[in-house]
Amino acid sequence: MLSVQGLKAYYMTRHFGVQREVRAVDGIDFEVLRNEIYGLAGESSCGKTTLIKTIAAAWKPPLQIVAGSVGFTFAPDILRLAPAELARVRWKHLAYIVQGSMSVLNPVRRIRESFVDFAFRHLGVARAEFDRRVSAHLARVKLDPGIVNAYPHQLSGGMRQRVTIALATICRPEFVIADEPTTALDVLVQKDVLDMIREVQREIGSSVLLVTHDLGVHAHVADRMGIMYAGRLVEEAPTRELFRAPRHPYTAHLIASLPRIGDRTTRKPLEGSPPNLAAPPPGCRFHPRCPLAMDRCRAEVPPLQTIGAQHRVACFAVNA
Amino acid sequence: MFGTLRDLLKTNGEFALGAGLTAFVFLIAALSFVSPQPPLDVYVVPPDLPPGWPHVFGTTSRGQDVFWQLTFAIRNTLLFGLTVALLSRVISLVVGLLAGYKGGWVDRLLMSINDTFIVIPLLPILVLLYFVMRDRMTWGFLAMTMALLGWAYDARLIRSVAMSLRHRDFTRTSVFSGMGTREILQREHLPYVLPIVFSTTLNNMNWSIGLEVTLAVLGFTDINTPSIGGMIYWANQHTAMVAGIWWWIAFPVALVMMVFIGLYLLAVSLNEYIDPRSRLSRMGVAS
Repeated sequence: MLSVQGLKAYYMTRHFGVQREVRAVDGIDFEVLRNEIYGLAGESSCGKTTLIKTIAAAWKPPLQIVAGSVGFTFAPDILRLAPAELARVRWKHLAYIVQGSMSVLNPVRRIRESFVDFAFRHLGVARAEFDRRVSAHLARVKLDPGIVNAYPHQLSGGMRQRVTIALATICRPEFVIADEPTTALDVLVQKDVLDMIREVQREIGSSVLLVTHDLGVHAHVADRMGIMYAGRLVEEAPTRELFRAPRHPYTAHLIASLPRIGDRTTRKPLEGSPPNLAAPPPGCRFHPRCPLAMDRCRAEVPPLQTIGAQHRVACFAVNA
Repeated sequence: MFGTLRDLLKTNGEFALGAGLTAFVFLIAALSFVSPQPPLDVYVVPPDLPPGWPHVFGTTSRGQDVFWQLTFAIRNTLLFGLTVALLSRVISLVVGLLAGYKGGWVDRLLMSINDTFIVIPLLPILVLLYFVMRDRMTWGFLAMTMALLGWAYDARLIRSVAMSLRHRDFTRTSVFSGMGTREILQREHLPYVLPIVFSTTLNNMNWSIGLEVTLAVLGFTDINTPSIGGMIYWANQHTAMVAGIWWWIAFPVALVMMVFIGLYLLAVSLNEYIDPRSRLSRMGVAS
């Protein structure tokens, strides 16, 4: 469905003659299959949002694509599409729920108008039929179709989130990118929204790329997961396996840091902080904080190697 | 809409007073349509009569009824203010929204033009223009000129709002969904800035009326179109104050001051209503 190969996207800035290069995405390969939810996790500033901006071909300077390709089944090389073609693909085939999607709705436009603004052109149906589909779709996400006449401030946070998801999925896109769709929602609403994403995804048979730092969310809905660290993918596995048997030392720490009911041991924090992406450490970017670091890690970049069914890890300590 | 207006009238004294004054002035202007005398005819009534029946505001030294003359004058003055305000709104909206949304060289170009207009001294330019144009300086020409000169402040205001709107998620989503620049400005950003524009429109009317009166009193406009400033000009020409014909000057001045105060109060109270923070504090919700 989606295939990302050797993708490198850097922020190139030039201030007072000083060139700076922030390697936010630095060589990422992965695939998302049809009809699955792929979870992408990683701490803040590891390049998650940059990666999906690039995948949605929504990048703009100072972000630049340095190398690699992004291909969908409906757009084999989306990074090189002409703007007009891109506009045709987006929303109809590829929907993007942006971060902080509560504010996707214009506060001075009614919900109906937002639907018309964003989705009408892509559906290619008459206005009456469009209104009928909007009502039907809102009912599908368990909202009263009467809310099309409401303004966003008249809805609760959870309702707004559902409207956003309805907006993103009304054209039945084959691929949905969701950036932190549940941040700023309380746990109950979160569960509701996640179940709904799952339900809508199953019904229209689309693929979802779900991005959040919240591992609980991934555990709840993702089929497969990728863990990012400092602009690179360090581990990828089916969700269940990743939580049960993480192989990369970073993933292992991440999972071990999760609170568990009944477990009273203190969590050990990882020494240090994520590297500055403008001057990343050589070799494996995790080596300054890694308990298993060897000389080789400081010199060479570990490749992402398959070690089991659908399980890939980028670590010399594991692969050696 | 009407519910809001009713609430404002009931709870906001400034709004009620402003609305009352403005409505009164508009009523006077409307009476011009039933005037028994054509506005430009002179010596149709006995000159220099003090206020009394049947000439409630008295008569002028030119043999005109001050009251009926005033209805025409205020109608033209209001129409002038509205025309200038609406025309300059169009310019400031286009410039402000475009500069704020596009940024980059578009912004720099538009804003350098904008700032030029902000620093230009208006009165000397208008006076100079009158000396160049002379008899061709018609009502419509003056309105166009003022509209061209009066948009810059509000364009900056709108630009600042548009700059913040540009980075909101709904703008990003609009771009992602394939909306063009015109569509985004018209459908997403314009409704957002309209309340602000509404309040500045009233201020702009005040500004343009004030400037028009100033020019007319000095005789730098088309004196054959009756206006408030024009009336005061003619009164001065006939040395009305010295001759004791005070009603020829007092009533136009009083009426135009009602316009100023009315529009000002409307603008202030609407502004306060539009800004949620001051609205809440007025409602006693937030301290």
